[in-house]
Amino acid sequence: MQREAAGTLPGPRARYLVIQLARFGDLIQTKRLLVSLMACGEVHLLVDRSLTALARLAFPGVRVHGISAHGTHGPAILGLVHDDLQELQAHQFHRIYNLNYSGLNFALASLFPVDQVRGYRLAHGQRVVDAWPAQVMRWTKVRTTRGLNLVDVWGLYADQPVEPERVNPAASAGGIGLGVVMAGQNARRSVPPRVLAPLVHAASKRIGHGPILLLGAGAERRAAAELRAALPGSLRGAVRDLVGKTSWADLFEVVGGLGLLLSPDTGTMHLAAHLGVPVMAFFLSSAWCHETGPYGTGHLVLQAMATCAPCLETGSCPNGVLCRNVFSEPGLLRYVSGQDVAQFPPHVAAMASTVDSLGVCFRPDAGIDPFMEERQSFRAAVARIAGIPGPAPCSVPLDESWIQERDWMLPQTLRGRANE
Amino acid sequence: MNEPMRRILIVLPMYGGSLPIGRYCGQALRILGHVVEYFEAPGFHSAFSALKTLRVGTDRLDYLENSLLQVVSQAVLAKVEAFAPDLVLAMAQAPLSRQALKRLQRDKVPTAMWFVEDHEVFPYWKAFAPLYDTFAVIQKGNFPACLSEVGQPNAFYLPLAADPSVHHPLSLSPLERRKYGSELSFVGAGYPNRRLAFRQLINYDLRIWGNDWDGEYLLTPFLQRNGQRIDTDEVVRIFNASTININLHSSVRPGTLIAGGDFVNPRTFELAACGAFQLVDRRTLLPELFTADELAVFDSMSGLLQAVEHYRANPEARAEIAARGRARVLAEHTYVHRMDTLMAHLQSLMSPKTGDPSWLEEIPSDLREDLDRLLVKLGLNPSASFQDVVCAVRGQGGRLGRLETAILFLDEWKKQYTPKRPEK
Repeated sequence: MQREAAGTLPGPRARYLVIQLARFGDLIQTKRLLVSLMACGEVHLLVDRSLTALARLAFPGVRVHGISAHGTHGPAILGLVHDDLQELQAHQFHRIYNLNYSGLNFALASLFPVDQVRGYRLAHGQRVVDAWPAQVMRWTKVRTTRGLNLVDVWGLYADQPVEPERVNPAASAGGIGLGVVMAGQNARRSVPPRVLAPLVHAASKRIGHGPILLLGAGAERRAAAELRAALPGSLRGAVRDLVGKTSWADLFEVVGGLGLLLSPDTGTMHLAAHLGVPVMAFFLSSAWCHETGPYGTGHLVLQAMATCAPCLETGSCPNGVLCRNVFSEPGLLRYVSGQDVAQFPPHVAAMASTVDSLGVCFRPDAGIDPFMEERQSFRAAVARIAGIPGPAPCSVPLDESWIQERDWMLPQTLRGRANE
Repeated sequence: MNEPMRRILIVLPMYGGSLPIGRYCGQALRILGHVVEYFEAPGFHSAFSALKTLRVGTDRLDYLENSLLQVVSQAVLAKVEAFAPDLVLAMAQAPLSRQALKRLQRDKVPTAMWFVEDHEVFPYWKAFAPLYDTFAVIQKGNFPACLSEVGQPNAFYLPLAADPSVHHPLSLSPLERRKYGSELSFVGAGYPNRRLAFRQLINYDLRIWGNDWDGEYLLTPFLQRNGQRIDTDEVVRIFNASTININLHSSVRPGTLIAGGDFVNPRTFELAACGAFQLVDRRTLLPELFTADELAVFDSMSGLLQAVEHYRANPEARAEIAARGRARVLAEHTYVHRMDTLMAHLQSLMSPKTGDPSWLEEIPSDLREDLDRLLVKLGLNPSASFQDVVCAVRGQGGRLGRLETAILFLDEWKKQYTPKRPEK
């Protein structure tokens, strides 16, 4: 691997553009990159038009631009996009971080000199993926023993990524009440109200007092009503149903004041981590805490550990999403409520977030993570590839099946730079 | 243009005489309003050449070369998949394997070969001709019947031509005339008949340009630049600077100086397009392309010598013939004419155009002017479909403008959020 010559680095007032066209959660997970770049210069962020207000709230020091990228804008977007691009063209960017593997991102790359774009580029009409994201995609082919948090994947695009502990505040239960996120973007990653209700009951015992605030999009109103009905009568009076009623600013205010957020893998979960609000997340199906767990120290993820987990959300589940059943286990519910558990149930682990020199990582607080040591070796190798100090490898040898002939034969450059 | 606009992939050869012709065809098709992309096979030639430097066994080299050609063929198929052309136009020596051609047949992608070679010299066409939908040739005689016999009934005669944007009269400086000019001149490869013929011209102010003249000691003093290949720009300067350009068609038959064959070589059209005077050997297909007062023709070596003597002393006659020859080329023998003929011939093979030019009506009024300018820049006509515009924009190199980027963005948006991709 060749390091980029120091002389080619942008000066102290460099101007960067980060293109993040994905959704709520991805936007929040771009934080390590944004914070790293802000230490070096002026940072601009391009997001879908629907997320500009959120981006401005989350990243006040960043200049936010919007573009009509999501399907909700309808097909008559040519004029809108043309106008959106004018704003971008007005700036001379030293470097453009194009973060999403999407045709939209490849198209946008053509607006900039190809050698200034990192991530996903269009060179003479040919799509080109830089070495770093290509490497990350390869790692995700075997997910159990590997795992690099998405915040770190994007954060390590930066020449000088900030230390992981500087990204989000450590979780601190200074607020009041329990927030409950009804569902995530992918239905299979969520649990139905009958499974969620005992979890909410247990979590409310854990924090002891305060309201229970139901959060989510308008489509989840019915599920919210079902959840309320499924809760013990003593709790129903504490429930405040905010589903479909919060603006981005409202959500910031509500989540920021919570004592604990109970959530599947959602944007609101990442927002809570962003604000330093403790998260107790339940991850099942394709959700994998080592990839998209809440960033920072002091969070917990109840990770389903079925032998088939983590799966691919694109395929149908041949097992009837049995990994969902672990969240009804009495032992798990006792753990959630804060009681001592003599025997933690199988096929689930309570993973606590912490940070090492590479980024965020999760270690079992209860239950067993059979791949912890192997993952440690993996993280040590990733740190070497990323060119930053990393955790020491452990005695378990690294699975090196991800190494390809091209890694050895073609010239490689440091993080995110192309195979030139 | 009467035909609807089409998307055409031109598969160039790795090298050779049909390479510039492929590029002239692409330029002509663009002038006719079609969207053209090239498969740039010359880029693979260096890898192919590198294999020959291995110093390995011949069996192994053969295997490696065939393997590389298969990879290049696969690259053509990938390009077809991405570009979705209405037609794949292959030039002679295009790196399309039989397997690749069968795949294109299976996928119902129309293919055409313009075989700009002498079928008697290069017999390999027999194995490949049946795999093309159409086979355009520069010869008549029994060639169409031969093609039909091997399973290619859809052959047609398409003579060579010139590109007036490349081949045109030049106003040369005295320095350039000294550098490139001579009383007699020839540009081309040292085929046996040319070697024999030109030995009889050594008493003239003769310059020979081109490659493959090695071992020809008598002509060595006349050979320019040690037989290096001359690029097109300089060839045009030589044509313009020479008093008499000798145009002797090649022949590999031993002892034959004047081949008397049928097809007319590209040099004939190119010299005429330059307004340059040429003495060309008689070809059976020449009279239907040029009249007797548009080209000066010779039938024999003695006829060539007589013509040289005559025309070196008659500058007015040279100028008049050259002017008439150029006018004929411009009127009938440009690559635009040839591609117009080709496309008319292929029309029935290509699917009806189902593009939707109505997308232009949905463009915001404040963008129409910019879009019209872009269409002109891309060489597209005002009825271009959205997908044709996308292809043309994507084919541009370097950093794109705001409107071009927005068009690519909209295309990707449609692919991402529209269940079925719009028809091209």
